[in-house]
Amino acid sequence: MIKFIEGPLWYVALTVFIVGVAWRLMALLTMKRPNDLSEARLPRGGAGGALKALVQHSIPHGGNLGRTLYHFLTGYMFHIGLFILVLFAAPHVEFIQKHLIGADIGWPKLPRWAFIIAAEAAFAGLILLYVHRLTDPVKKQLSDIDDHLGVWLTFIVMLTGCLALQEAHAGLRAFHMLSVEALLIYLPFSRLIHAFTFAFARARTGATYGRRGFTP
Amino acid sequence: MTAQPGEIAPDERPVNVKAAIDKMEALLGGHMAAYLDACVHCGQCAQACHFHEATQNPRYTPALKLQPMTRVYRRNMAPFSGLRKALGMAPEITEADLRDWEPLIFDTCTMCGRCTIVCPMAIDIASVVAATRQAFVAAGLGPPDLLQAADNARDKGSPLGVTPEVLEDRVEWLADDNEVEIALDKDKADVLLTVSSIEMMKYPDSVVAMAKLLNGAGVDWTLSSKGYEATNFGVLSGKGDVARIMVERIAAGAEAVGAKTVVVPECGHAYGVLRWSGANLLGRELPFEVLHITEYLAALKRQGKLKFKPYDAQAVTYHDPCQISRRGGATADARYLLEGFATDFREMTPTGNYNWCCGGGGGVQAMGSAADVRHEVFRIKMAQVEATGAPALVSACANCRLTMDESKKALAWDKELLSIVELLADNLDNPASDTPATD
Amino acid sequence: MSLIAVVLMVFVGLPHVTSATAQQMPPPQALKNEGIATPGGSVRPPVGAVNLPGSASSVRRPGDPAAGGSVPPPDHARGDQSISDEFWSRIRHGQRGDVVLHSPGNRVLIQSSGEDWRLLRNRQVARYGAMALLGVLAAIVLFYLLRGRIKIKGGRTGRVIPRFSLAQRITHWFAATLVVLLGISGLIILFGKSILLPVLGPQAFSLVASAAMQGHNLFGPLFLAAVLGLLVFFLKGNVPRAVDVSWFFKGGGLLGGHASAGKYNAGQKIWFLLTIVLGFAICVSGFVLLFPDALADRTQAQLANLAHGIAALIFIAAGLGHAYIGSLGMEGAFEAMSVGTVDENWAKEHHDLWYAEHKGEATTDYVRAEVSAGAAGDGLMRGVRP
Repeated sequence: MIKFIEGPLWYVALTVFIVGVAWRLMALLTMKRPNDLSEARLPRGGAGGALKALVQHSIPHGGNLGRTLYHFLTGYMFHIGLFILVLFAAPHVEFIQKHLIGADIGWPKLPRWAFIIAAEAAFAGLILLYVHRLTDPVKKQLSDIDDHLGVWLTFIVMLTGCLALQEAHAGLRAFHMLSVEALLIYLPFSRLIHAFTFAFARARTGATYGRRGFTP
Repeated sequence: MTAQPGEIAPDERPVNVKAAIDKMEALLGGHMAAYLDACVHCGQCAQACHFHEATQNPRYTPALKLQPMTRVYRRNMAPFSGLRKALGMAPEITEADLRDWEPLIFDTCTMCGRCTIVCPMAIDIASVVAATRQAFVAAGLGPPDLLQAADNARDKGSPLGVTPEVLEDRVEWLADDNEVEIALDKDKADVLLTVSSIEMMKYPDSVVAMAKLLNGAGVDWTLSSKGYEATNFGVLSGKGDVARIMVERIAAGAEAVGAKTVVVPECGHAYGVLRWSGANLLGRELPFEVLHITEYLAALKRQGKLKFKPYDAQAVTYHDPCQISRRGGATADARYLLEGFATDFREMTPTGNYNWCCGGGGGVQAMGSAADVRHEVFRIKMAQVEATGAPALVSACANCRLTMDESKKALAWDKELLSIVELLADNLDNPASDTPATD
Repeated sequence: MSLIAVVLMVFVGLPHVTSATAQQMPPPQALKNEGIATPGGSVRPPVGAVNLPGSASSVRRPGDPAAGGSVPPPDHARGDQSISDEFWSRIRHGQRGDVVLHSPGNRVLIQSSGEDWRLLRNRQVARYGAMALLGVLAAIVLFYLLRGRIKIKGGRTGRVIPRFSLAQRITHWFAATLVVLLGISGLIILFGKSILLPVLGPQAFSLVASAAMQGHNLFGPLFLAAVLGLLVFFLKGNVPRAVDVSWFFKGGGLLGGHASAGKYNAGQKIWFLLTIVLGFAICVSGFVLLFPDALADRTQAQLANLAHGIAALIFIAAGLGHAYIGSLGMEGAFEAMSVGTVDENWAKEHHDLWYAEHKGEATTDYVRAEVSAGAAGDGLMRGVRP
């Protein structure tokens, strides 16, 4: 069973992920788009706006940070914690170097204390965000099954990863791999694709409104 | 439960769901799909939306307004839509859905773009709403008074019934009454001035003011009975054919007098539509430049053709009409006009491109069903003004002005609402001539 | 006798010995390499023998003059006590001595009180703890069977009053999530060997135990944040008052009759107190257990372990009661913490004094009520909008 999870199923999941994401993004990029015949206020205002929006929308601006502070803080706790874990946790670095790159390129590994802090931030962020989604009237109206599945799947991936921290049991590691594979397969078909589409949406708005002279 | 605005008791309107779906499919494209595939339901947009802020009703979360398009997109156009349909994960929209969404798409969205500011994905919900309105109208839905305004514009020339004849009458009357030359249907002119129905019928002083200012600067301008109506209720109501007709008329007017510049009066969406959507509605680049009256007056001031006596009667603050500032990119000129003019000018918070919407844009002012929620929304503007301590509020959009006037009466507010062109015209310092320049 | 070799290692100062391996015996080869003679290859000198004639660097009684031209003792040899039975006895019973390598806990070679701890933990704590938990569960089941779900006597009015702010609800559910994760993993750590190991077998159990340990250690520190949050957001209203005494003696109305209460009744105030006190005890002892080597004495870690376990068991037992009453046990209770509002009649019946102050807020507009619960501002952070 473990051999299957760490062997064929891994390759299947990886393929579905890569092909699925590529397909979805290509489809978005090649969809017909109306041409804008209006005269831009500034030459190359569109390109400038796209870049500006890409950066600016990482922080709620225009006096709105105060009213979205909770979401901002917990959101970043989760995302930054998760990215640090995924990219720099020692077992991940070993995995990436061994299976994805094929060579030891000296990718930095987190010391254990840094891992713990990043993991706790990620968990706290995710739990606080999800509890908010369940109790906040606005989010309750908005949320659908995709939102809940995405959160649960991510939580299970993170949890199984941390449960295997002793790195002494193939079974625990396999659980983690299995949940990761489930996430990889789920991502291209779900809202989790925002990991890539956030850039498209931001750039689109920036390009459209940068031409007008103000990127919202 | 309190009644929601826009909630119409089960009515007899027949709803053509297929027409709505077809229209949405026709309007969907890569630009919109990028948005629909990016929303993560974070709900932060609600914090920036005046309808939600004033009522705290979670139904008024802007992201919910993406649902009609998203449902159609997911079922018919999105990547893997076939898979979704097969798994029953993409139900078709129903008549009940459309009726349920109607107040969200019409009554409680002014397409002001505040939600976009706060969205981590920068989703332009306003543009999706504008397109969605077209689908609803195709299905037979939409607030009757708003749709009627669009039909009036198409049939009579203006949403408030200002036909070319009425235009001529009123222009003559205003010119006589105020002893100001108001050029109408000159053979040739550099500048075509357009007007909005709201001004002509409710705030005619601002038309007179514009005439005074343009005359005072020696501008070669005219109105044209071929194309005079600046507002575009076709866009506001979702009637694409009316939208195009209104732009065509202005283009015809400009062509008739050979104008290279078209000036849009104190109106927000009129500027936004003509300046940024006009060419696309027409299907060709506009053969003239489009400027809002504040932009044009600012240019004249820069050229030294307009001078003003300082205005020190009272402290004033300024409301930025959304379609001119945030959505239009023409924020700075109004302040340049007030600079050195209003001696006690105070900014409200937030201001400029991040200012709060008046609550009446996007045709919402014309919807009787939205009156109650509009008055609630106005409290936000009231609080902003009161925080500055200024007794008067200046703006550059007649629709904002009308919205705020109505709410001011409903809530018995004591502050003054002023028009920037009227204020400037009253304090013009070079009454060189009241006659427009001749060829 | 092998213990003598350990003593020798320490007192002669073998560089191989580190704090982490103080309890471990180096292999015989290491001893040989250090020049301690092992006649016949054995580590153990013959019984009674101290000097070993014919070896290069003999083992000899420290302080004895060199016999027959043997090498003087190494510079860092210490002490002049003989390795007597009495000396050994003192070591066996936890005597603290001088060591070359100063790491916490190193100074005690054999921490004999640890045996007492082990027995206490595995027998009394585990046994009584299990009894307490099962007892509480049984009591809950019995209560439900006999009393059933406590219904709202007058029925629902359809009007609701905001009760818990969004900040309070988020803090509560954040804490509850952690309690579930920590509680389950903690119970596995305490009872796993006796209950799960026979069922799962050693392979599967070691997996479960490792997972439980890692998970428990990771989520533990977050629990401190949760307890602090609970303190901040639920302190207001939870201070004991005179009316609580009478509520308590009336059994909260369970024995018939009416018991007055403010926002929180005596039972809830006791639960709040337990949460804060036990919560802090669990956190402090938990942190000690996360960094046991930071302590000078292994005994402290053991005390922390006992405190942690006992506090946690009491907390879980009480928590089971809390969770029962807040969900299945009482109609109208769960919504207080999920949507933040409660039915008017529920409030009148169970928290009449609080109801009297807030009855003006009763409304049929559920949406409005739920939203204003977000701004209700009960607790120290009035007006904070998550």
